[in-house]
Amino acid sequence: MDTQSTPNPDATGVVHEPHDETRHHFSEILDEIKNGMVEMGSLVVENARRVGVAMVENRLDLVPVVIAADDEVNQRYAELERMTFETLARQQPVAKDLRFLVSATRILYELERTGDLVVNLAFTIDELHGFPDAPHLKGLLERLVAASSGLFARSITALGEMDENAGERLDAEDDEVDDLVAAFYQEIGRQRDEIGLEAGIALNRMGRFLERIADHGVNIGENTTYIVTAEFPGDTHLSLRAES
Amino acid sequence: MTVPTKTPTTKELVSASISGKKTDVVGAVVAFVLLLSIFVSLGILVTLLADMLIKGWSVFADRGFDFVTSPLSPDPARAGVSQGIFGSVILMVFVVVVAFPLGVGAAIYLEEYAQDTRLTRFIVANMRNLAGVPSIVYGLLGFAVFVQLLSGITNGRTLISGGLTLAVLVLPIMMITASEALRAVPEALRQASYGVGATKWETIRHHVLPVALPAILTGSVLTIARAFGESAPLLLAGAVLSNFFSAPAGTGFVTHVTEGDYTALPIVVFNWARQPQKEFVAITAAGIVVLLVLLLLVNGAAIYIRDRASRK
Amino acid sequence: MNRIVPQSETADDAAASPPQAEAAAVFEVQDLNVFYSDFHAVRDVNIDVKEHEITAFIGPSGCGKSTVLRCFNRMNDLIETARVEGRINYHGVDLYGAEVDPVQVRRHIGMVFQKPNPFPKSIYDNIAFGPRIAGFSGNMDELVESSLERAALWDEVKDIQDQSAFALSGGQQQRLCIARAIATNPDVLLMDEPASALDPIATLRIEELMHELKNEYTIIIVTHNMQQAARVSDRTAFFNVSLNEKGQRTGQLVEFDETGRIFTNPAEEATEDYITGRFG
Repeated sequence: MDTQSTPNPDATGVVHEPHDETRHHFSEILDEIKNGMVEMGSLVVENARRVGVAMVENRLDLVPVVIAADDEVNQRYAELERMTFETLARQQPVAKDLRFLVSATRILYELERTGDLVVNLAFTIDELHGFPDAPHLKGLLERLVAASSGLFARSITALGEMDENAGERLDAEDDEVDDLVAAFYQEIGRQRDEIGLEAGIALNRMGRFLERIADHGVNIGENTTYIVTAEFPGDTHLSLRAES
Repeated sequence: MTVPTKTPTTKELVSASISGKKTDVVGAVVAFVLLLSIFVSLGILVTLLADMLIKGWSVFADRGFDFVTSPLSPDPARAGVSQGIFGSVILMVFVVVVAFPLGVGAAIYLEEYAQDTRLTRFIVANMRNLAGVPSIVYGLLGFAVFVQLLSGITNGRTLISGGLTLAVLVLPIMMITASEALRAVPEALRQASYGVGATKWETIRHHVLPVALPAILTGSVLTIARAFGESAPLLLAGAVLSNFFSAPAGTGFVTHVTEGDYTALPIVVFNWARQPQKEFVAITAAGIVVLLVLLLLVNGAAIYIRDRASRK
Repeated sequence: MNRIVPQSETADDAAASPPQAEAAAVFEVQDLNVFYSDFHAVRDVNIDVKEHEITAFIGPSGCGKSTVLRCFNRMNDLIETARVEGRINYHGVDLYGAEVDPVQVRRHIGMVFQKPNPFPKSIYDNIAFGPRIAGFSGNMDELVESSLERAALWDEVKDIQDQSAFALSGGQQQRLCIARAIATNPDVLLMDEPASALDPIATLRIEELMHELKNEYTIIIVTHNMQQAARVSDRTAFFNVSLNEKGQRTGQLVEFDETGRIFTNPAEEATEDYITGRFG
């Protein structure tokens, strides 16, 4: 996955033409899968922003758009998963290539679940027929949406760049999201009489969805770190942590 | 009080089982016997050669090159091997011109074109038998066919008859040598040639023959060397076995070859060896030395040609 | 040495017929049976080889994959006892028809063998031989250069074309053999275990080369290395060997499908047993 369109010189300054690479074809496949994941992630980010607008600006007309946009995400998921699986069968990958392909199956799952969460947010705001009249809550939600979708978007960028620090960094950023969620819940509790039970439950669910979107982003980051360093930060996959 | 026996360690056990000088007596004896056989064989050859050189040295010392350039003569002091050399050389030319193309051509057909049927296997088996037939039988054949039956063409007892007789003699060997050389060409080479759309003859001409050529040439030169030393068939095919003969003065080269009497070097030597007078002993030995020198030259030529051909 | 122009490339056809969903078939094999005297080597093969694809034949030893491969360029004709029954269409023409000249066939359908077998000549003459005997009258230097270019060997040998082919390494010799096959302007390349005599790096370079060659040629590769078939081919045919009524070990085609499907979810149990190594 280090291939670029114009080859770089190697350590001795020699530029190798594509002829010289012995697994050019395989490298292209891996690039295709990675770019596919980044594109899929970008679709999800775009949809998350869309649902954010729907929730905060009361644009219920965007709800069907959000739901329809997820179809393409699911389609990409099926395609990329099939491609990853087939590449595992056909190319006998080892080391970093193997870590990439196995992590890809996990990352694809995280992406697909996040897409579903965005759809769930759309359904929820639709059932509520718009955000209740509570400006302070709405302000918190707006910040929460920005933080959560922002973290997720940064995880996609880190995936594209194969950033080896992604896991640690995004895990730290997740604290902000958790704090905002906690504050959101508190505020829901405080305003429960003004907004009513139904709205309260719905908003609670929205908060949970947004928290989980951020968690998926962290997972993607940790998988990215694993691909590059063979070490899995965080507690999610203790078995994959390198032995000290 | 008994001394307690110590249990041997692994290291000691291993050391015991792998060390020890085993003298290979049988191997040494065999090597010695083989060495002895080389010495004996070489010894015999060297002794013979030395004997010849000693006996014939006086001839070269007294007459020098004259021995080589003089014709036969009843007088041993004047007899020389020139007619013998001339005859042998012309005979070899015949052998080359007749046996080489026929032998190589037949081998190419058998190896590259012929189907593996019972007929071809029969032919190949008989070819090998022919190679082992005693040369005197070829002499009889030569006499009956070339000297007598075809005397209109060969004019009877001439170099043509002698040459053809020798050619027929070495033809089977030539075929076998060429066959082996062709068989030694790897099949992969032919496959590669066919693979790019070459016909059978194109494949043989451009690939198989060039690769087989060094071996064919070496084999043929060695065959010629062998024919050089044959005397029995020539005796029957009309070579002159006498102390003296000569063509009329002014006989041209072509007439000499096509119509004149002839002899060959081994026959000259054989004749001298039969003479009772002891003066002939020296020139017999000298004749043998010349024969051996010529054989050496021919073999040297074989090596030279093979090297040139395989280096290309 | 005009190259056979496949149907999909002629302008008239393109205008007349709708765009084809699948690539055209270069070979259509119908009921192919191959005998060596009485020995029934290969039985009832039916297979279509598509244009500009790499088709791999895999299977255990004795399953007839090399025998079938050699039917495509009539190399089996060189074996006295070989007898071919059935039909092989090459661009719709019966390859074994009465008017077909096997020598011409081999100029259009080239072959690369298991052990590199360059001619004992110079690199230049190795490539030039085929075109020369085919009557090529154009610029030979250019033809040699373009053949070596397409075989990814030009840079390495452009200054040593006069040297013997044996001066090259094994992997280079095999690429030379590929260039030699390309020189007669074929549209099909048959490769009989082309990398089995090479080291891993040389093998991967040949595989990479095949990916590039696929754009201009149709390739059929026989390989006993099924990982290689998995890496390199678009479609894979699995041949297996079984005992026939006479107790002879006869080869037959078991399954033929897209390579991705063969190696992720083959239809036949025998195929799955073979590729997972649970054979015999």
